[in-house]
Amino acid sequence: MIGLIVRRLVQLPVILLAIYTMTLALAWAVPGSPLDRPEGRRPSAAVREAMQRQYNLDSFARFYVSYLDSASGVRWCRESYTGAAFAAAKRATQAGLPPPTRPFFDLGPSLQYSDRRVNEIIGSALPVSMTLGAAAMLIATVLGVCAGVIAALRPRSALDSATLGLALVGVSVPSFVTGTALVLAFGVWLAWLPVGGWGTPMHLVLPAFTLSLPFAAYIARLTRMGMIEQLQSDYARTARAKGLPERTVVLRHALRNAILPVVSYVGPATAYAMTGSFVVERIFQVPGMGEHFVNAVLNKDLFLIIGTVLSFGAMLIVFNAAVDVAYRWIDPRIE
Amino acid sequence: MLKVIAPILLLAALLVAAIASDSGGGRAALTIVERDEVRTLDPAKMTWTQDIRVARAVYEGLVRTDLSTSDLRLAPAAAEAMPDISPDGLVYTFKLRPTARWSNGEQVRASDFVYAWRRMMLPDAGADYVQMFMAIRGARSFFDQRAQDLKRFAGDASIADRGAESARLWALAMERFGSDVGLKAVDERTLRVELAEPLPYFMDYLGFVSFFPLHERSVSVHESLDAATGQRRWASDWTKPPRLVGNGPMRLVRWRFKRDMRLEANQHYWDPSLLESQSIEIRSIADANAMVNAFRMGDVDWTTDVQVPYRADMLEARAAFEREHAAKVAILARRGLDQIAIDRALPSDPRTTIHAIPSFGTYFLNMYCGPLLASGRPNPFADVRVRRAFALSVDKKEIVSEIRRNGERVAGGLVPPGSIAGYAPPTGLGFDPKRARQELAEAGFAGGKGLPPIEFLFARDGGHDLIAQSLQRNWRRELGVQIELAQVEGRVFGERVKTGKYMISRASWFGDYADPTTFLDISQSGNNNNDRRFADERYDAMLLDASRERDPAARLAQLGAAERYLIEERAPIVPLFHFTQVYLFDAHRLQGLSADVRQEQHLFRLHVPGKGR
Repeated sequence: MIGLIVRRLVQLPVILLAIYTMTLALAWAVPGSPLDRPEGRRPSAAVREAMQRQYNLDSFARFYVSYLDSASGVRWCRESYTGAAFAAAKRATQAGLPPPTRPFFDLGPSLQYSDRRVNEIIGSALPVSMTLGAAAMLIATVLGVCAGVIAALRPRSALDSATLGLALVGVSVPSFVTGTALVLAFGVWLAWLPVGGWGTPMHLVLPAFTLSLPFAAYIARLTRMGMIEQLQSDYARTARAKGLPERTVVLRHALRNAILPVVSYVGPATAYAMTGSFVVERIFQVPGMGEHFVNAVLNKDLFLIIGTVLSFGAMLIVFNAAVDVAYRWIDPRIE
Repeated sequence: MLKVIAPILLLAALLVAAIASDSGGGRAALTIVERDEVRTLDPAKMTWTQDIRVARAVYEGLVRTDLSTSDLRLAPAAAEAMPDISPDGLVYTFKLRPTARWSNGEQVRASDFVYAWRRMMLPDAGADYVQMFMAIRGARSFFDQRAQDLKRFAGDASIADRGAESARLWALAMERFGSDVGLKAVDERTLRVELAEPLPYFMDYLGFVSFFPLHERSVSVHESLDAATGQRRWASDWTKPPRLVGNGPMRLVRWRFKRDMRLEANQHYWDPSLLESQSIEIRSIADANAMVNAFRMGDVDWTTDVQVPYRADMLEARAAFEREHAAKVAILARRGLDQIAIDRALPSDPRTTIHAIPSFGTYFLNMYCGPLLASGRPNPFADVRVRRAFALSVDKKEIVSEIRRNGERVAGGLVPPGSIAGYAPPTGLGFDPKRARQELAEAGFAGGKGLPPIEFLFARDGGHDLIAQSLQRNWRRELGVQIELAQVEGRVFGERVKTGKYMISRASWFGDYADPTTFLDISQSGNNNNDRRFADERYDAMLLDASRERDPAARLAQLGAAERYLIEERAPIVPLFHFTQVYLFDAHRLQGLSADVRQEQHLFRLHVPGKGR
């Protein structure tokens, strides 16, 4: 178990480096300069040139190396070693002002929001998306597993068809439809819940539910398939023949085996849900990561593109590792 | 069973705790909604309306527009009085208010202005509006020399000690600034500015955000020299609370990215009576629908931008209300009341919460004027007659009333009428298909024969496609030319327009200061924003002559003639309409918004009577 975790931790930076290289190469190829606005007043040529140099936008190689330098923490270590960083902090303290912040993994400035570092943007948006995503996955898992088990108990019954039908709707109706419908129903007409925003538990209900539906539907189908198979297997028949109550057969024996495909789905799905959904976050005005994935590319905000992709990549790796660990815990036979 | 339910409940409780810990403070006296996040509070980097709006509350320049005057006169702000101007119009001497204070209680010093303006004049700061500072004596050569130094430094790999060399270059630049640039803090409260040439609208510059002061001590802490490029850099920390120190009526208390911003009274501000609301919350909501919903649910007092698809219907409902009260509206308008004041005099009605306010911007067409197209073939639009033919066959009225439906005004010239006191913009080229065909025939393309397919370039989103289709229809019908519509992604659009890879494109421009040159300069030959590559000696000469004219009225008349020549005779630009900004607010409740064309709004003047002053 520990060996597995260590192995994954060693892999992490290597995979991130590969992701970084590919993302930068693709983002670099996006037409236009991130310093130009599509419209409006243009800075003078000399100003533009100076800014190009400042952000290393004039050379792919220089950008590649310099970003790696600051994002990996090497620059932080070097500046700490040479003492360059402390001089600034000392100056601030002497002037009676709070010292400048200095992140270890410095993901660079945002080119679009020039007052923000990518660290700040991700630092404020990722926890929001993670909360929302975790809530959605919690709802999805509870709903999905319950629905799947209920459907599997009486295959081809009316209850099963109804569950399957609902699951089909859940998978196929896009969240901008369900989201808008929920806002109208619970936010505007009934006025039970806020129409959008973030900051109280009430704000979590509608977006988490909307985000959970496609996941819940898929989990329900996975659980149902697994349960039908397990309930017809030899060991389930043996358990019943032993005289075990049906509840124990279903929940303790069959579910334990049927849940494995669900677990392998839930891992990456959680990473996906937690890194934000553009649509759901926009409808409910949730200040999460979702929009940065889309807008950073449209704005060719290089640092932000790389930052968001790297954080998504890191989360995916971590959650996949968690799935592997969970597998071993559920079924110790798995190597 | 408990073994399964307990972790689920625990996780749920954790999530609830996580979100509850992320809530904001109490309600502010006033809440407004912006469509877009405030990008920056660094005056050197600002270009967006919402940034400038907040900056005007957090900082204070030497002077400020008095929005209560009908001709939008400037009034002293951080300066004690209007400046002493030398008889030759070159030297401006300002005396700062002895009571002017930064939000940390320190006195606002003349040196704070020098620090901020010097920073603007450095290529290192990357200021979009650096051009404005070139009016100051010596600023241009200071900027150019520093830019050259930096360029040489970046390109020279042989420099051994880059840190020492960058420090030397910086010291050199500071020395040059002291000796060559006409900007001095004579003493703590006296600021002297020397211009290179007299500039009749220099005072209007001073009311603009680029000329706001910075608290030197707290900003300079974030400065460093970058050994790789030799540039002076400012870490972005200083614009955020609690580090941001401003001298305006309000101070920044909270700024959460893409969420909200909170402004509260600056206790040290010299004129507390100016402030109408003690606290303002500014929310940023990206979704157009949600912006409208937030207003309708009563959560917000002012929605600054309405972009929903049903906007035209909302405006139509308002127009219906105005028709019901037509007689009264006419009387009030004749009395000189502006739109907002008229609303206040009429009975309260939910239909009137939408307001289309004329703004300081124009939607127009660019015609590429260079001799050759990007493909290397001759450019038909290099011929002024072809340009005029296309301009004359545009039905602007149809575009405004059938497509936009936003209550916008058809544009004759580029400068919106009524935006600059004493300036009369031209009537422009109207819809005259007969003359258009004649012009085209004179250019040798009778009936469109001999013209290559004409490409019209515009960006995706924003409803430009409908306008493009209308233009296509008209040009096809009236001139017999084949029009191809090229709809591209925003960034590609920007790149192609900038590099002159188009024939006709859509465009827009917003003015920055109260002078026609803010619109007219962009057609000067060689201007950085001259996307049309229009070069006309006579037009350049007309602008130059006007800049030398000392009598303000005569100068405006000359500029008017220059604009008429540009739009009606040379037609590199075809103005279609002047923009409106659509607000949502209840005029019977919210006080302090201005209907002025330049859309300058002073947040600190806003208030809802009877609500938490």
